[in-house]
Amino acid sequence: MAGVNRGPGPETGADGSGAAADASVAVDGVGKTYDDGGSPVRALDDASFAVDEGEFVCLVGPSGCGKTTLFRIIAGLTEATDGAVRVAGTPVTGPTTDMGVVFQEYHLFPWLTVEENVGFGLERTDRSEAERERRIDEMLDLVGLTEFRDSYPKSLSGGMKQRVAIARSLAVDPELLLMDEPFGAVDAQTREMLQRELLDVWGSTGKTVLFVTHDVTEAVTLADRIVVMAAEPGRVDEIVDVDVSRPRERGDPAFGEHVARVRELIGAGP
Amino acid sequence: MATDTGGEFDGSGLRADVGIGDPQRLLRGIAGLAGFVALWHLVSLAQPAIVLPSPVAVAAEFRGQFASGTMPAALASSVRHWVPGTIAGTGLGVAAGVAFAWSGLLDDVTAPLIRLLRPVPPLALIGFAIAWFGLNHAGAAFIIAVGGFWINFYASYGAVEEVSDDLIDVGRTLGVRGDLDMVRSVVLPASLPGIMTGIRTGLGRCWMLVIAAEIFSVPGVGREILRASNNLRVDRAIAYIFVLSLMYLLVDVAFRAVQRRVLAWQA
Repeated sequence: MAGVNRGPGPETGADGSGAAADASVAVDGVGKTYDDGGSPVRALDDASFAVDEGEFVCLVGPSGCGKTTLFRIIAGLTEATDGAVRVAGTPVTGPTTDMGVVFQEYHLFPWLTVEENVGFGLERTDRSEAERERRIDEMLDLVGLTEFRDSYPKSLSGGMKQRVAIARSLAVDPELLLMDEPFGAVDAQTREMLQRELLDVWGSTGKTVLFVTHDVTEAVTLADRIVVMAAEPGRVDEIVDVDVSRPRERGDPAFGEHVARVRELIGAGP
Repeated sequence: MATDTGGEFDGSGLRADVGIGDPQRLLRGIAGLAGFVALWHLVSLAQPAIVLPSPVAVAAEFRGQFASGTMPAALASSVRHWVPGTIAGTGLGVAAGVAFAWSGLLDDVTAPLIRLLRPVPPLALIGFAIAWFGLNHAGAAFIIAVGGFWINFYASYGAVEEVSDDLIDVGRTLGVRGDLDMVRSVVLPASLPGIMTGIRTGLGRCWMLVIAAEIFSVPGVGREILRASNNLRVDRAIAYIFVLSLMYLLVDVAFRAVQRRVLAWQA
């Protein structure tokens, strides 16, 4: 049965007194109010949780629960109205190359080849040219796109584009991988393949992953823990430990129980 | 030039073409052109030469003007202000368009001024051209530059505004810092298709402005058209109009070849 903690449990370390040393991400009382002239909208209220180093955490919730807002705040792309996010103990004030970010719509640079897209972030590091090339080769190999290195994004399928985006974000060797519904725009078959590949990459690199999705099955397939969010205002509802042994099978009764449990919390029915 | 609307924005940027490389399209274009010349000839038979000279008479006049050296000299003179005027107008227009669209501060400061200056036709600035530069190539280049500037300014401004915020976010997460790096690495390449459409349109417009630029006696193709018209030499006027058309065609084909290469990544 799924272990359920109300709010930030004792093991998360995010108790308001500062990030625990081993916490890769500490989200502390984060709120966001959008106020552009009209009546202010509270998109996110008092969100707190922590992600340990090397952990795979999914954020799930209905639309309007503020998960994308929270994602953007953690990535440093949007400023929080209150609270703070710390990554490895350092407050997030803007995007950093310690965080690799992958978006739903890939957002590859269409004027760059696959290889140049992957190397984009590397050009802004102090790596030598030879080191950069070696790193690009490694990344292309990791996502299986070596033979497409000279192609432009327009000629790639959705799944291939997302692999390039993942390779691009991993190339600068970030501590943390932030993914916002990265497999939402590809077909179901490709999604399952990309999920397996992501778990392989996670296993082989040991990165911390924070993954936003609205797909409960996807969350249970991937995550160590699931942060369930609720809407109006957007907030963290519960945090669910996924104790299903890996590799996970959808037919496994424990898997089904977790899916049912999370669905119930979201209110999407069993 | 079957579907080419004189270099105006046609939205199809890369498709509007003279048909080189597509035999069927080229053949149809030639047929259309031949039909036009035949019709022109038929109509001209019933008209005196000062109303509509026949294509044969125009061709003879073209040959005569060319052989006498008058036409090459006029073209050389026009090129001497078309080139600097076009380069200056294009360069400044693109630079200002990109800068004002990217920088909210610059945009706020310049917006009222831009609205004030935009409706002024280049022709209205002839007095300034003469006062500031004199009756010379520089004065004519100024008129051409003004026309080229606005087309490139609006095309570049629009192209930069259209750059998706998401690409800029991706740039930020991958270590792009500062306006200069962002403009160079993300904004310019992302807006290049729109900028190049503007440049192409501007190249055509600048040839059209050659007439306006030469209205105050600077020698060139435009001056010859005006002089021929004043003397009711319609055949000569048409011959020189063809010179402008041919120059436009030449520059347009050349620029399109560049555009195709530079934008090879586009679908």
